[in-house]
Amino acid sequence: MEENNLQCSSVVDGNFEEVPRETAIQFKPPLYRQRYQFVKNLVDQHEPKKVADLGCGDTSLLRLLKVNPCIELLVGVDINEDKLRWRGDSLAPFMGDFLKPRDLNLTIILYHGSVVERDSRLLGFDLITCIELIEHLDSGDLARFPEVVFGYLSPSMIVISTPNSEFNPLFPSVTLRDSDHKFEWTRMEFQTWALYVANRYDYSVEFTGVGEPPAGAENVGYCTQIGIFQKNGGRATEACVSEQHDQHVYKAGLTMFPRLVLIFHPQAVLLPHLPKMLRLQVFTTSYPSLQQERFFKLVLVNEVSQQVESLRVSHLPRRKEQDGEQGDKPKDIGGSKAPVPCFGPVFTEVEKAKIENSPKPFCVGDKFFVPLQRLLAYPRLNRLCANEEMMRSVIADSIPLSSDGSAVVTDLCNYFDEQFEF
Amino acid sequence: MSGRARVKARGIARSPSATEVGRTQASPLPTSVDLSNNEASSSNGFLGTSRISTNDKYGISSGDAGSTSMERGVKNKQDFMDLSICTREKLAHVRDCKTGSSGIPVKLVTNLFNLDFPQDWQLYQYHVTYVPDLASRRLRIALLYSHSELSNKAKAFDGAILFLSQKLEEKVTELSSETQRGETIKMTITLKRELPSSSPVCIQVFNIIFRKILKKLSMYQIGRNFYNPSEPVEIPQHKLSLWPGFAISVSYFESKLLFSADVSYKVLRNETVLEFMTALCRRTGLTCFTQTCEKQLIGLIVLTRYNNRTYSIDDIDWSVKPTHTFQKRDGTEITYVDYYKQQYDITVSDLNQPMLVSLLKRKRNDNSEARLAHLIPELCFLTGLTDQATSDFQLMKAVAEKTRLPPSGRQQRLARLVDNIQRNTNARFELETWGLHFGSQISLTGRVVPSEKILMQDHICQPVSAADWSKDVRTCKILNARSLNTWLILCSDRTEYVAESFLNCLRRVAGSMGFNVDYPKIIKVQENPAAFVRAVQQYVDPDVQLVMCILPSNQKTYYDSIKKYLSSDCPVPSQCVLARTLNKQGMMMSIATKIAMQMTCKLGGELWAVEIPLKSLMVVGIDVCKDALSKDVMVVGCVASVNPGITRWFSRCILQRTMTDVADCLKVFMTGALNKWYKYNHDLPARIIVYRAGVGDGQLKTLVEYEVPQLLSSVAESSSNTSSRLSVIVVRKKCMPRFFTEMNRTVQNPPIGTVVDSEATRNEWYDFYLISQVACRGTVSPTYYNVIYDDNGLKPDHMQRLTFKLCHLYYNWPGIVSVPAPCQYAHKLTFLVAQSIHKEPSLELANHLFYL
Repeated sequence: MEENNLQCSSVVDGNFEEVPRETAIQFKPPLYRQRYQFVKNLVDQHEPKKVADLGCGDTSLLRLLKVNPCIELLVGVDINEDKLRWRGDSLAPFMGDFLKPRDLNLTIILYHGSVVERDSRLLGFDLITCIELIEHLDSGDLARFPEVVFGYLSPSMIVISTPNSEFNPLFPSVTLRDSDHKFEWTRMEFQTWALYVANRYDYSVEFTGVGEPPAGAENVGYCTQIGIFQKNGGRATEACVSEQHDQHVYKAGLTMFPRLVLIFHPQAVLLPHLPKMLRLQVFTTSYPSLQQERFFKLVLVNEVSQQVESLRVSHLPRRKEQDGEQGDKPKDIGGSKAPVPCFGPVFTEVEKAKIENSPKPFCVGDKFFVPLQRLLAYPRLNRLCANEEMMRSVIADSIPLSSDGSAVVTDLCNYFDEQFEF
Repeated sequence: MSGRARVKARGIARSPSATEVGRTQASPLPTSVDLSNNEASSSNGFLGTSRISTNDKYGISSGDAGSTSMERGVKNKQDFMDLSICTREKLAHVRDCKTGSSGIPVKLVTNLFNLDFPQDWQLYQYHVTYVPDLASRRLRIALLYSHSELSNKAKAFDGAILFLSQKLEEKVTELSSETQRGETIKMTITLKRELPSSSPVCIQVFNIIFRKILKKLSMYQIGRNFYNPSEPVEIPQHKLSLWPGFAISVSYFESKLLFSADVSYKVLRNETVLEFMTALCRRTGLTCFTQTCEKQLIGLIVLTRYNNRTYSIDDIDWSVKPTHTFQKRDGTEITYVDYYKQQYDITVSDLNQPMLVSLLKRKRNDNSEARLAHLIPELCFLTGLTDQATSDFQLMKAVAEKTRLPPSGRQQRLARLVDNIQRNTNARFELETWGLHFGSQISLTGRVVPSEKILMQDHICQPVSAADWSKDVRTCKILNARSLNTWLILCSDRTEYVAESFLNCLRRVAGSMGFNVDYPKIIKVQENPAAFVRAVQQYVDPDVQLVMCILPSNQKTYYDSIKKYLSSDCPVPSQCVLARTLNKQGMMMSIATKIAMQMTCKLGGELWAVEIPLKSLMVVGIDVCKDALSKDVMVVGCVASVNPGITRWFSRCILQRTMTDVADCLKVFMTGALNKWYKYNHDLPARIIVYRAGVGDGQLKTLVEYEVPQLLSSVAESSSNTSSRLSVIVVRKKCMPRFFTEMNRTVQNPPIGTVVDSEATRNEWYDFYLISQVACRGTVSPTYYNVIYDDNGLKPDHMQRLTFKLCHLYYNWPGIVSVPAPCQYAHKLTFLVAQSIHKEPSLELANHLFYL
């Protein structure tokens, strides 16, 4: 697994220096990427909220998954602490994540420890992935693995991938693909094991794989074999719901604000009678999101300022024209009357009508007013904020409002206007 | 628009050269952040240094690191290079003692902290080789890190050089690891050096350790500073977010290793390029939109939010849209929209936006064709403040208000940082494994030098505060003024009335300060920059002493075109005033006074003086900055005093291409200045003191090896017998230490004239700090002086006091300034040339302070 992860990290960085070593069979895209893409597609499809990657290595898969908007808790576990620490920092939020926060909270935690130890902090997950993990377990650990992962942690879905040894003859002189591999299974061996485990812990399992065999050798099967385990009962119905939920889940998080400030505490799910936590938490990070008051406010205030500014600027040329008519300004501002932007937000007819029917911005003296009702008519703001009262309370101490609080007030002209004289 | 590389990529979006969509290398900017490669970037820091100290062939192996971290490595290397230039040992008179003794002692608290470690502490430098050799640095690091032998040790490793705080048992340790496909890699760890804590390499390692520690406090590294994104300060009306944070460093000061921390803010912009373009489009209309947009955006640095990289915008491709396809590395075609959806789960909402084009920097050892990246404006954030933004007074005021911290606030932040480091178990653990201990905050004793008297024509005035003596001298006559007889005022119809009333006021205040101003010729012009320049061309003749322009707006073209014409094409002093300034009610008197003073100087007058105990002293100020239009041109401004009273100046500005050229043009300048001095004083100055500002990190060597010899030879060549004695002092406005006085259990800014020449200084230099400005609400920053050459042999006391005196002589402000007046003049001159004129001003103006 080591080698693979090393190569994989380059995908996420966009750093392509580490070209996979010369082998007789080359996969395109490389096999490790196909495996990760497989998990990513699965996440897109099932939208799990809590995902754990056992044997996460240098956290490459986690880095690929963290962009997924549905995930709220992402956990990685690995026995090699140095490797976790080495790349762990790269899971921290980017600068851009602060400027454009996610809709939902996301917490990422890395634990150092063995995957076959019971740890209550991994209870209640929607998806647990074990990518190229089981072949690194010795017989004792392998025996304990189903009991811990299926029996104790018992997530809604488990993905297990492992090499298909039937494929190995296609590689030049390879017995095991990695010196740390304790075994490599044929399809039959893996499926027998998987079916036994699934049956015992009440899961159903489907088999698939990545890494198509070359033409003429189709009978050996995929290079990497994958088992997808789904817990019987319970989650099946939920999965259906979540599919049509799509929009709903997303909306819910926003409208629930500000009551809902959900920061996940892993300790909260700890049950008193459960065994000690053997894993050491080596890294934890929490992403900014619209569920957090501070960032919600930041985004809303920004969107409001921007909308007000664009309305203000579109009021300017008209005013200049009036000045011109009064003979105050001899030079005209040449044909820039009604700018038609070639891009920018495009509204549907319904949205347009909604905007048209809302109260219009107006000027009093050198002040420019935009009614909050007008702002709420714009889809981007409407998405963030349900009603005028809420908007007012959030922006009141950041943006000047009219005396009755129903409109945003700004100076009609500012410094930049002079810089753009045409 | 000339001079910039137009990277037109129209129609080649499908070609392999345009396949990179923002997932490629970071641009080599110090501001860019490379989080995905943290270990690499920090370890690169010491690669930079080790390359100097060891002649190790692996020192170069960092080639596969991101260019960002390379840059950082280079920067560290430059700082370090400066420290290896030991100038003090050549200065006999300060070899034993460089501290002064005059003035009133004052107890000061600093932002420096002790760093304690055992007496016998050592750092062990190992060299690691791999058999068979591995090209991938990442793989090298992974193999070493995963080896049990080293797992519980404090270590720093960059792929070749390994630092440990504990010695391994054997001098040569052989380890082996296996990779995939059963390949056995043998790692040989060989002890190369044992380094004492004072060694420069150690200091670099300490810096890496502290960077690790601050990351453990959940701080976000940008460049070399650390910020706290969870406590941002927002300025929504300007779409800015400010992240509070710290600049930190560990370095060897006068006698020991100290940790220094200063509060810093990172300015981030909450505005995507698309939002910027949309707003711009609304302002300009479609006709000139593309042109204006290119002018505004090209050259800016953007941050892509999905991968945290920075790119510079080299062009905008209006023909490519997000719905177009490009070729991925694996050869498949994909639309930009699909790519971002698949790769980053980002939905591009505006399908009509054009593409930004960025030319990707190639690595040094790669000669292949430069690649282009197409970036989607919607996903790019603007970074930094544009020139336009920094010239916006309201915006800068808002930023200043949010970031200004009084000394007490600064002290609180420092205390909290130290507390966090000591309380955080991870941070403490890191320190402890290296055997380090965080110590106490340093206090030291400074001295306050006596205040200066201001000499006016027939009055000697002891100002109430050196910060501003305008009230103290209001009734006094200035030293020397030339009468203004023939001059012009250019104004528009609209501003004619205000111009008249201003003129009356100006003549009244000028009269009272002893400056005779006759009635000018008033010329009315249309309100556009071309009309102003045409009027200047038409009406200025050799008799005209000065041209005043009342500008209808602060549009830069007015100022630039007028200054350009009158500074070089037709050299006549000029005075530009904004009509809006003259409309300020109740301010007319003070505005007129300030303008009258500037006009006096532009005509060659002298405003005030201070007592200069040295009889025949020439002081010189030098500053360097980059031209705003062509960034590879350096603008060198030199200003020298030409009379013993230090009230008259010879100013010259020269454009150059490289640093060594700078040294050459200094010679040209010095010769000119000495000729002028000879002409006025019929002798050469006995002493010359050069204040050199605009020195960047790592340039000290160039200064010592090129500039000082050039200055010396120009001095030697101008006289056949005894030549003038020379001193060269490097002036830096930015330095790490801050000083506070403790008063009534709170900390405050130290008084003006506070000198610090111990503990916070460097042992290898003859250096001192001087506080010569006031900060009403914020924290004052000391100015740092490093005397790199000194024939004059002045006592440190005298050098410090003379420097303090020179801070009183800047005629654009009736008060003390943060650097010696010649430096401030040179700065003002280079700024004018770099921003507005872009060519050398005429030498006919050299005897006037025409640039005030």
